[in-house]
Amino acid sequence: MKSMTASRKDTVVQAAAKKRSAFWKTFVRQRYLYLMSLPFVLWAFVFSYLPLWGWTMAFQKFKPGIAFRDQKWVGLQYFKELFADEQFYRVLRNTLAMSTMGLVAGFVVPIVFAVVLNEVRAMSIKRFVQTVSYLPHFVSWVVVAGIVTKMLSTEGGVVNDLLVALHIIDEPIQFMAKGGLFWYIVTASDVWKEMGWNTIIYLAAIAGIGPELYEASRVDGASRVRQVWHITLPGIRPTIIVLLIISIGHLIGIGFEKQFLLGNPLVSDYSQVLDLYALNYGLGLGRFSFGTAINIFNSVISVFLLLIANGIFKRTTKESIF
Amino acid sequence: MRKWFKVNALLLAGAMTLGLVSACSKSSDGTDAAPSGSAAASTNAAKSGDEGGEDLTPVTFTYFSEDPNPNWNHMQDDVSKALTKKTGVTLDAEFAVGDPAQKVALMAASGVYPDIIAAKGDIGKLVDAGAVLDLTELIDKYAPNIKKVLGPYMSRAKYTTEDQSIYSIPTWSSVDEVKATAGGGFELQHRVVKEAGYPTIRTVHDYEKVIKDYLAKHPTDENGNKNIGLSLNADDWHMYISVTNPAAFVTGASDDGEYYVNQETHEATYHFRRPEEKEYFRWLNHMNAEGLLDKESFVQKYDQYKAKVASGRVLGLIDQDWDYNDGQQALKTAGKFDQTYGHYPVTMSEQFKETSFWPTGFMGGYGISISSKAKDPVRIIKFLDYLASDEFQIMNNWGIEGKHYVVENGKRVVPKEVQDRINNDNTAFTKESGIGFYWNIMVHYGDGVKDSTGNYYTKNSPELIVDGYSDVEKETLAAYKATTWKDLFPKEDEFNVKAYGAAWNIQIPGEDEVSILGNKMKDITWKRIPQAILAKPEDFDKIWDDYQNDLIKAGVEKMEKGYTRYVQDRVKLWSADEGK
Amino acid sequence: MHALKKSTGRPWSDRWFDVAVYLLLILVTVVTLYPFLNVLAISLNDSTDSVRGGITIYPRVPTFKNYETIFAFGGLITGLKISVLRTVVGTILGLISASMLAFTISRSDFQGRRFVSTFLALTMYVSGGLIPFYILIRDLNMMNTFAVYVLPGLVSAFNVFVIRSFIDGIPFALQESAKLDGANDWTIFWRVILPLTKPALATIALFLAVGQWNAWFDTYLYNGSSEKLTTLQFELMKVLQSTTTNADQFRGRNMTEVMRQISPESVKMAITIVVTVPILVVYPFLQKYFVKGMTLGAVKS
Repeated sequence: MKSMTASRKDTVVQAAAKKRSAFWKTFVRQRYLYLMSLPFVLWAFVFSYLPLWGWTMAFQKFKPGIAFRDQKWVGLQYFKELFADEQFYRVLRNTLAMSTMGLVAGFVVPIVFAVVLNEVRAMSIKRFVQTVSYLPHFVSWVVVAGIVTKMLSTEGGVVNDLLVALHIIDEPIQFMAKGGLFWYIVTASDVWKEMGWNTIIYLAAIAGIGPELYEASRVDGASRVRQVWHITLPGIRPTIIVLLIISIGHLIGIGFEKQFLLGNPLVSDYSQVLDLYALNYGLGLGRFSFGTAINIFNSVISVFLLLIANGIFKRTTKESIF
Repeated sequence: MRKWFKVNALLLAGAMTLGLVSACSKSSDGTDAAPSGSAAASTNAAKSGDEGGEDLTPVTFTYFSEDPNPNWNHMQDDVSKALTKKTGVTLDAEFAVGDPAQKVALMAASGVYPDIIAAKGDIGKLVDAGAVLDLTELIDKYAPNIKKVLGPYMSRAKYTTEDQSIYSIPTWSSVDEVKATAGGGFELQHRVVKEAGYPTIRTVHDYEKVIKDYLAKHPTDENGNKNIGLSLNADDWHMYISVTNPAAFVTGASDDGEYYVNQETHEATYHFRRPEEKEYFRWLNHMNAEGLLDKESFVQKYDQYKAKVASGRVLGLIDQDWDYNDGQQALKTAGKFDQTYGHYPVTMSEQFKETSFWPTGFMGGYGISISSKAKDPVRIIKFLDYLASDEFQIMNNWGIEGKHYVVENGKRVVPKEVQDRINNDNTAFTKESGIGFYWNIMVHYGDGVKDSTGNYYTKNSPELIVDGYSDVEKETLAAYKATTWKDLFPKEDEFNVKAYGAAWNIQIPGEDEVSILGNKMKDITWKRIPQAILAKPEDFDKIWDDYQNDLIKAGVEKMEKGYTRYVQDRVKLWSADEGK
Repeated sequence: MHALKKSTGRPWSDRWFDVAVYLLLILVTVVTLYPFLNVLAISLNDSTDSVRGGITIYPRVPTFKNYETIFAFGGLITGLKISVLRTVVGTILGLISASMLAFTISRSDFQGRRFVSTFLALTMYVSGGLIPFYILIRDLNMMNTFAVYVLPGLVSAFNVFVIRSFIDGIPFALQESAKLDGANDWTIFWRVILPLTKPALATIALFLAVGQWNAWFDTYLYNGSSEKLTTLQFELMKVLQSTTTNADQFRGRNMTEVMRQISPESVKMAITIVVTVPILVVYPFLQKYFVKGMTLGAVKS
């Protein structure tokens, strides 16, 4: 593996030298690479970048159906309103807390599960367990939230019944009424629902590791645990890092469905997140401008997070997405 | 009662995945845009079209409705076929499936709209975009039936005081509807009142006493599960129905959404600021302290609540019948009729009147509009006018004579085999017959109104309701000397008709600060009220004071002022009726 | 590793490892099977009875009524055809675009690399909102077309970066030796890269297919009035709404008993099953690519 990276580096150097000499010469030589990327880049430009003119709405008192030139411009009014709202900071805190917890759990658990699955020798068991584990992905959050609430209920909830039976507690606990537990409940439910689905990508990465590496280490008498550390995990490292960078960029936009469905009035200080706030005070009221202002805030923070994550990983692990 | 669907439907609609859509399909309010001096698309329309005899040449109009109609059969049903025969019109219709407010906004923004639009609360967006016609003249010239049915209420179709155009003909509210039964108030299981010897249930203390006594005697059901005194339904928008609205009802206020409206000055107050209501929540707090209130009231999901009702263990509810009916239905199926519920006009004390039947008059509101891009508005208004005729109203409600109903001794009767299909094969029957498809497209009379033949326009009659009561229910009613639950409540004629319909029915533009503040207050109230109810009784006053301070800090007074303006404007706009 | 032989001198740690692994698998299976069985049970249970709650993994009052309700609706067949078509076409096009882009930005010698990858990465985090996008679709004349299902989402940056991370793991020497044999970048892509990234392609194919299969919002926004371009999900959405509306109409109009036999909740569960089963059927064909592991065999560097 080492020799591969070395040979690759050589090419980088060579390529750089050539680039200096003649851009167009390289352009012609790499014509297929251009052919395979530029049309799609153009595509992305049309469908992802062109609509960005909509960001102007954040600076207007936008009304649908009125010509662009007739919209009333209001400058930074909506941003000022956003940053002046106390509630905004609370939902931001909740969002970041839950997304960070989700990020950690959402990476560790599927990776561990993928590695464990990989150690199963009986193919049929492996396939069966893997198939079962991703089923909850297709069950809607309404159903999952219902199951979670019932499990944690004080009236015949499995968890309370169990804890009481084991004499760990005397009185059933109202888990869903405790604000301090809410973030953990959301994170755990999310892991439960999405673990199997998120594992698929790591399984694929593991599948890409050459079997000869395992053969070699087995000949060396390495234990299975050692193999995991020295072959499996390093083998899927590039995938992990790429996904990690992408997810860090998404830390601020985590949707609101699960928090909304698992929440209740007693824990609202902990359950409200940015996307729900944007809906309640923006689009839900038909306030496109305010909604767009939040959208821009979102995008800016996301890109900022992305750049930081990408930079850090580039420097420390040499892996990055650009 | 539909109003709360819209409030939260938006929220849900935003996130609508397959799983998430539920009771809220009735959705969307969104916004009515500000009464800007938008280019009122005047009736240049009146020029076109023939004014002579009926034009029956086939024509197709495109139609968009914010309300879903999944049974729509592309005009291949009996009623629609008859309609096409009568008018020559075929509708190419699209019914909203997702978030309709969004779709209307997109229509307005992109200029792609159909000929006929039912935009409900989002009409303002179309008005701003100049997308809909002022129908005043068209109605006057070509719509005798609409004029007849709406009659004295025509000014309730006007847009605003500044812009008195008619952009939509109100087709959602029923004209002259008489509610035949009560579905609200406070509910008690029949066995609870029976055991107490059918005492008068008039105040919260009467209500509390029967529950307490019953619970003392029967702490558990036959399987040893605990009986529950009172359970509330606070899952999302149900909060309004079961927790916050009743506070107004038990203190003599009628349903004006989140406001209390002074009937003389028409000044609006955020209703939780009334000292009377504090006492209601103090009572709930007391119920909790006494162990009579279900501890899970604010945690349980809607399906858990329904399951509890279905278990028959909940002695009392404070809810509307449609909100707990699923659970009650399960009780009926199981034959546990004594565990189903009756409705009682409970208030804080005798000095207050229960207000369920405080009349609103015809409420105007959502309706149907003609787009400014429509090619032949005259033909369209004539079509809409035909829908409002007696002939078609009856066709829509009853179906085709001789096929879906027959006239026996001058009375419309649904033959048994047709009724069997309605009961057992409803979807297919609705699809084939088309009965009810045009209910919200046509101007219509409501339940309890009779036509010239002495028959009701709709199929719902007071007699039908009594037929649906179980024996246990009849027994309870008899003990209270009543035939329907309505008999226990103060009647319509004990109140003065509200001059503004109902405050919740007033559309406030989303951009208006009143809407934004409204959401802020909701966030505060929904957090504080449960806190106050679940607190130790000695802490109640402190929490309540904090709550009131929070409201003032968040600008509740400004919101009230803004809202008052809307109510007063509406009174002014509608007062044109009163001379008639 | 599938050819593992049982060696006599296995370390103790390996045995404990096995025990731990199997215990964990049992736990995961039980825990993740539950919600799905729960949905299945409720979908097969009488809906009035379901209101009582307490259904776990088997129906208490078995019935097919909920499914009958769904299949009583027309439009499902057209919807199914379009859904299958968009899933197939959308997946294929998505795979081609993502893998081609991934290949080009995996090449460190490609001079457009930095630009293309940065340009793509940003698309994941910025969006202009619904209104501009809707107007764009209108201006491109894509309203009421099949194209609107597969073209706007053709380029997915996420998929590109995932595939690239796999391509990065393929020894670059393979490309070089192919080049020496006279292959150009185009042939290298088809002959060398694609065959070696099968697990990644299978994964992305799954993501794309599930995304296409579950999509209904684009149907609603752009093709809502077109009967011929309806999708299964959209039709099912209508079915769900129908049960809800019927229930509501009832509430509004004071008639009880009749329609209560079917509740939206139970139909919702049946719909979940109906849309999930096809995915489960297709799944094993994709699964084999990422569960098995590949044999690089001949292509040792």
